[in-house]
Amino acid sequence: MGKLTDKCEQGVEVGPLVKEMTQEAINLFEGSAGQTGPSQFTDDETARETLGTEGTVASGRMSLTFAIELLRRHFGAEVFNRTGVVDLRFLRPVRPGHTLTLKGTVSEVTREPNGSRVSVDIEVTNQDGNVAGVGTGSVIVPTAYLSPEL
Amino acid sequence: MAEDTREPLDWDSLEVGETFERYDYVLTAEMIDMYRKGVMDPEAAFPTISHKVDVKQYTKKYRDNGSVNARCAFHCYNPPIPGKRITVTAWIADKYLRRGKNYIVTEAVSVDEAGRLIDRVITHELKQPAEVGKKWVN
Repeated sequence: MGKLTDKCEQGVEVGPLVKEMTQEAINLFEGSAGQTGPSQFTDDETARETLGTEGTVASGRMSLTFAIELLRRHFGAEVFNRTGVVDLRFLRPVRPGHTLTLKGTVSEVTREPNGSRVSVDIEVTNQDGNVAGVGTGSVIVPTAYLSPEL
Repeated sequence: MAEDTREPLDWDSLEVGETFERYDYVLTAEMIDMYRKGVMDPEAAFPTISHKVDVKQYTKKYRDNGSVNARCAFHCYNPPIPGKRITVTAWIADKYLRRGKNYIVTEAVSVDEAGRLIDRVITHELKQPAEVGKKWVN
């Protein structure tokens, strides 16, 4: 069991994680749930009719998944997959061809009955440096993973 | 084309707390593999995300003009196991009007056939999807 103390101190940077968005990736994401019909995610015409955009967009749930990966890589699957939370607001559409960069910063550590809740501010930017999403995440790190002073 | 028999959404009369009929599905290894390729993460542990389970029963019951995901929160409890049947309970958690636009908040909890709590998802959907194109044409 590795110690996580150095990853949980306030101000520690999380990431970055970079993702290249493609239509193929969007189609796989949608198809993985059996959604095969045309939608604003998979069909340009449907996107134009429904959203008024030039073409398809990616589901915000893909960015959510990337934010989950960002925190899981930082804290480890053993901890994150059982106590992790991500709450993300989607500020700009993400489209095929976009490059997303996800970064986080540990913002707070608070005591919980079952360990310490480590909170992270999360930001998603696109290839132009525009913010596509913001939010927070957290994980409860068992006391056994931390040094006594944290 | 089959007639759409769903109820048209009446946002004003939609009740917070309305709980939808439970439904279940089997998460297959193929679904998980496809999801992991889509999100470019071979260790992605919650392929339930792409199933959009919080809005599935809403969409089955109500007809509207579509939606755009404005905010989504996801709570991880236990990664789902391939081949297990997952049961989903979803409900209307909230609704609100912001800057003249209608939002609906749906929430869902997934549990597998062994009683393991899998995840909780909370989604805020903007019910006027054309607003996206007005602001972000490209």
